[in-house]
Amino acid sequence: MADGYTPKILVLATEKCAYPGADAVGKAHLEYPSEVFILRVLSPVLFPEDFYLRAYSKGIDGIIIASCGSDCPYHGAYERLAKRIDDLTLHMKDGGLDIERIRLTAICTVCIKAFLKEIAEMEENLIRLGPVDHSLAETLRTESRQRLQFSGRLGLAGNSATAERVAL
Amino acid sequence: MSDNRHSTAQPGKEEYEEAVLKDDAEYRQQHETVKRQQAEERERAGEPAEPKVGVYICRCGGNISDVVDVERVAQVVAMVPGVAVAKVHTFMCSDPGQHTISNDILENGLDRVVVASCSPFLHEQTFRGAVSRGNLNPYLYEHVNIREQGSWAHKHDPEGATRLAIQMITGAVGKLRNAQPLELIKLPNHRQALVIGGGIAGMKTAAELAARGIRVLLVESSNRLGGRLNERGRVYPSETMASDLVADLERQVRNNGNIDILLNSKVTVVDGFIGNFRTVIEGLIGPSGGFDKRDALVGAIVMATGYRPYVPRDGEFLYRQDPCVLTTPEFIQMMQNLDAGTGSLQYNRRTIRSVAFLHCVGSRQLDGVNEPQADGTLNKYCSRTCCSTILQQSLALRKRFPQVHVYDFHRDIRTYGRGEEEYYTEASKAGVVFFRYNGEDPLQVERATGASGKQAPSRKEAPITITVKDMLTWGQEIAVPVDMVVLGVGMVPSHIEDLVDSIKLPTGEDHFLQEVHPKLRPVEVAVNGVLIAGTAQGPMNIQETLNAAAAAAVKAAAMFAREMVELNPYVASVDASLCCGEGLCVTQCDYEGALHLVETEIDGQTVQRAEVNAGLCVGCGACVAVCPHRAMELNGWRLDQFEAMVDGLMADTQHADCEPQLVNLG
Repeated sequence: MADGYTPKILVLATEKCAYPGADAVGKAHLEYPSEVFILRVLSPVLFPEDFYLRAYSKGIDGIIIASCGSDCPYHGAYERLAKRIDDLTLHMKDGGLDIERIRLTAICTVCIKAFLKEIAEMEENLIRLGPVDHSLAETLRTESRQRLQFSGRLGLAGNSATAERVAL
Repeated sequence: MSDNRHSTAQPGKEEYEEAVLKDDAEYRQQHETVKRQQAEERERAGEPAEPKVGVYICRCGGNISDVVDVERVAQVVAMVPGVAVAKVHTFMCSDPGQHTISNDILENGLDRVVVASCSPFLHEQTFRGAVSRGNLNPYLYEHVNIREQGSWAHKHDPEGATRLAIQMITGAVGKLRNAQPLELIKLPNHRQALVIGGGIAGMKTAAELAARGIRVLLVESSNRLGGRLNERGRVYPSETMASDLVADLERQVRNNGNIDILLNSKVTVVDGFIGNFRTVIEGLIGPSGGFDKRDALVGAIVMATGYRPYVPRDGEFLYRQDPCVLTTPEFIQMMQNLDAGTGSLQYNRRTIRSVAFLHCVGSRQLDGVNEPQADGTLNKYCSRTCCSTILQQSLALRKRFPQVHVYDFHRDIRTYGRGEEEYYTEASKAGVVFFRYNGEDPLQVERATGASGKQAPSRKEAPITITVKDMLTWGQEIAVPVDMVVLGVGMVPSHIEDLVDSIKLPTGEDHFLQEVHPKLRPVEVAVNGVLIAGTAQGPMNIQETLNAAAAAAVKAAAMFAREMVELNPYVASVDASLCCGEGLCVTQCDYEGALHLVETEIDGQTVQRAEVNAGLCVGCGACVAVCPHRAMELNGWRLDQFEAMVDGLMADTQHADCEPQLVNLG
């Protein structure tokens, strides 16, 4: 690994839980690397696979989906999110993108320690793995778009794995 | 643009400011050249005019500027395409700070605004207001958090915090490029509330709402009002009779023309949204008192569904195995049923000479110690009311039957409310003997084996033995013979699973209803127009329950103050030009009626297109992810906006030193 490599971590933090959780870390004047980028989201269930893969292709090395877990205020959203991240992980694995770069977790409004632990663990993994292969991520992103479009034609919502099987 | 950027220089920084000013002139010159070139290029390409974004960076009186080099941030972001103004202010949230924003919009024709300051939970609304006062749509505003998630979290990395601030602002500017003006969603408001549950919480809510001129349907599943208080005698800390409290509230709701009381009834269907809930109530509500169904259109729903006392498992502390093992509600009933003037305490043909009270039965359960409930979960929470109830009851018992020995077995004692600690002191003085044990090392309640160790105990010996490692005597193991055991049972959620499912109510890990925010929005749930009153939310005492009920009523009344309901504009929307009618989105939606396919005619052909009912959509975005054409987006949180934010965050990845001229110029 090249010296001075600082991994870039994207944290998708839910407005009801993880985002205030991240605020709580700052309020406690506890620190984490400044290469951690926190984006506020209503629910990460919003994102298609290609959003994550695009982020890798643009220079993000690791993504933490800091959700509300079972405290999710939207009905069925967490279960759908978990399923989507399962699928994404599968596709990353198949495509040769290290699955340690993605992490689905739940962070509550006062989960300061959990937040810092998730960051530290991701940081450690990423330093071991090194930077993302941007062109590989871009290829996987294109594939995931195609898969989604294909599932659209078959009318198989959120079930791209089935779409693949049908295609075969 | 005037040079306001440095108008609020901090004392002691003159030299620095001067240097910055000098640099600034150069940067501005360079900036203007770049902007001109960009504009010319766009004109040639026939692209629409560049947005004019104003960026305001807050020092927060040093909270931010002691770490983040805010002047540098302003210089750099001024170079970002689209940024027309970049200013620094010591307190953006102050009147002058806010005025700068509205003034710049009016005078410089800004059409987008970014403020980089504290967490959005503090001042996002403040700055949206300032933007509105500049006659700009408040949703053309983006908030960047450079304090809680900036200066405070990166105190020892000022360079990094400065770079991060630049990247976050660049991302926000990118997000705003794709922003659209949004309007609050307005819908008619039906001025009637449905209160579910006729206990004290429901009655209090109904009375408060009716007093504000709002019609109320009060639905109670049993045949009488009062709920759990009907099972109580004197209640702490006032020592009033529970029945008096119930009677008082019942008078208030019965004598009010605004309240319809429906006993023996259940709410079976809830559909719709704030201001417009369509509900079905079933029960003995027909004109002849027979079973009937009734539709009701209500604007707000208050969940006053209460709790159930924890019921111990068969055999848990000998419950249902020994007739003298009672729960607190059972003990209270027994005491109430005793004839006045009874000299000795007799129960179940047993003379009760000693009573043990056990705390935390069904509450504060520990992994590996307590057996989980049928669904595999443990009640990890404290039920909050049992300690004071136990102390009140043990004190009353000692006073009425001074010859009865009272033993109190606890892990901790939590008499947290005003007037409750006194019960602890008084019980101590009255001779209640306390034992304290460690939760990991639980006490044992067993049938006594008798003096010989084999046969049952004789009539003179107590039939139950409690063995405890007592922490108050440094871990000594003590066996206490008792005639009666009272289990201080906690609270568990009522059986309202059908309503939770039907209204899509969020519940916490403990299965109680969950509020939006425990402190800031304590009686609201994520479903707009639905409020929680009392122990449906979690263990509360009577005072807290009535407080919550009054708060829920006022919240509901405030909703009815408007003729129209205003909803957050963050809902899904369909771009009809991209939608192909495949309907993947529809399969992802858990909110009935929020999203469906409609038939429409395009070029003489009947096709299907997705359509969102903005009033029913909660904005979770589950539908967005599956659209192959990105026809489905969440207003205010579009995917291209998130992508623009990521691009902004990565803007200077190749140039770690974040020199202004190296920032991505598009």
